[in-house]
Amino acid sequence: MSSKAGVELKGGMYTFMSLKLHTSDTDIINQQLADKVQQAPAFFKNTPVVVDFSALEALTDEQFDANELIECVRRHKLVPIVASLSNKSSPLGDSIAIPLIEGSVRSAATQKSTEKQSSQEQTEEQNEPSSAIEGSTISREVEFIVKAPLFINKPVRSGQQIYARETDLIIMGPVGPGAEVIADNNIHIYGPLRGRALCGVSGNASTRIFCTSLEAELVSVAGSFRMLETIPPELRGKPAQIWLEDGKLRIEPL
Amino acid sequence: MTKTIVVTSGKGGVGKTTTSASIATGLAKRGYKTVVIDFDVGLRNLDLVMGCERRVVYDLVNLVNQESSLHQTLIKDKRIENLYILPASQTRDKDALTIEGIARVMHKLKKSDFDYIICDSPAGIEKGAKMALYFADEAIVTTNPEVSSVRDSDRILGILQSESKRSKMNEEPVKEHLLITRYNPGRVKDGQMLSVDDIVDLLAIPLLGIIPESPTVLDCSNEGKPVILDDDSEAGQAYSDAIDRLLGEITKPHRFMEAPKKGFLSRLFG
Ligand SMILES: Nc1ncnc2c1ncn2[C@@H]1O[C@H](COP(=O)(O)OP(=O)(O)O)[C@@H](O)[C@H]1O
Ligand SMILES: [Mg+2]
Repeated sequence: MSSKAGVELKGGMYTFMSLKLHTSDTDIINQQLADKVQQAPAFFKNTPVVVDFSALEALTDEQFDANELIECVRRHKLVPIVASLSNKSSPLGDSIAIPLIEGSVRSAATQKSTEKQSSQEQTEEQNEPSSAIEGSTISREVEFIVKAPLFINKPVRSGQQIYARETDLIIMGPVGPGAEVIADNNIHIYGPLRGRALCGVSGNASTRIFCTSLEAELVSVAGSFRMLETIPPELRGKPAQIWLEDGKLRIEPL
Repeated sequence: MTKTIVVTSGKGGVGKTTTSASIATGLAKRGYKTVVIDFDVGLRNLDLVMGCERRVVYDLVNLVNQESSLHQTLIKDKRIENLYILPASQTRDKDALTIEGIARVMHKLKKSDFDYIICDSPAGIEKGAKMALYFADEAIVTTNPEVSSVRDSDRILGILQSESKRSKMNEEPVKEHLLITRYNPGRVKDGQMLSVDDIVDLLAIPLLGIIPESPTVLDCSNEGKPVILDDDSEAGQAYSDAIDRLLGEITKPHRFMEAPKKGFLSRLFG
């Protein structure tokens, strides 16, 4: 037998979604997480998250149970892998039952993904749902940095998901039934849209979806969605754009 | 250079095993040293379609577990020179296979100078199907002209892009071919089935061939004879055409897309 190494220990940089908690009120967290996850259940399912407790460090553990909050996150099918605190040895740290890390995940993650974007090697992330949309759930403090769009020049197949974080998503090819394409900004599809398309998922209501043939199972702009049955039949199979106007979803031919 | 081709679909009963048998036989007939592997552990039936079920001694699981040698396990076809069958196990379940074990088998086959390794995939998108497609250089996505079959094919194309060895190693992607099987032009005309154009439009991959629905296929299976060896049948000819395209004659026109003209009598009686 060769002496090929069976394991290799290396340092590595990974991008994870981080969930910043701004309140210890489980009802609010429950509600907001449910809303968020429901927009793209397949996207969030079993996604690892870093739970950011830094905003709650001032509270004492009599005031809330950190593990209950973690449990609450789990109930939404997210997978809390680590808790982040600005100071690991704060009293809160002792009571948390998952591993701890220290420091601001938020800026690290943002920087990491910006590097990744600029190196132009941003491919689809269906196997890597770890891209950050940190803080977007509970806070709303999303900064939009101008970034290169995520460009996909092959069909998106049934069962695949593509997420363009903080940028536009451009797809050259069909989006199959059961496929899910998601973006924080606009979605442009040069091909038929037969699956689900969700734009503005971090709350940007001025984003739009464009496609050359509308056959979608679902379209959603900033959380307002419509299913195929409610899309007017005369628009089906036609080039169309979808946007929000006065809080109402509008679908018009191109 | 050995080429590994997976015959896959997602859905069951669409004609993967029929196709694997005929494609392997067709390639061997043209002089390529070919082996066809049955990955459907627990439900083996490739050996039946190839007519060698009584000659199975060892199987893929034995080989993977290093309980038998390649030489002992491969069954040499009695009709066609250069054609070998690697049967699945009837008694074990799919968990008996591991990527490492299959990698060893693939390596041995490559060292034995095979030109083509054809992998007959089990149905589904679970472990068994993923094993069968892992080492593929090319994929023949077998699709029936039905919505559910097309959707499963779309799904399997996604898995090829993300779970094959080529995708994991960041190599050139698996080359995709669409093979439409059990095509019944009459039922397409009636609107009961999707047309070739619909399917190509939905899946957006190059068309390798159209195999018409034909009772000869079942007759041949029962005889243990790959249908490609039946030169008189439309299905056999369609598989032969598909071999030509697979070997590079991509502009060869497609046949058997039209419903047969109705004869005088059937026109009278509708
Ligand atoms: N072109 C065809 N015309 C008629 N019957 C076919 C055709 N192709 C396959 N069949 C039949 O369909 C059934 C399933 O085929 P099989 O090759 O075993 O599918 P799979 O391996 O995908 O489960 C078999 O009974 C086979 O004889
Ligand atoms: Mg089969």
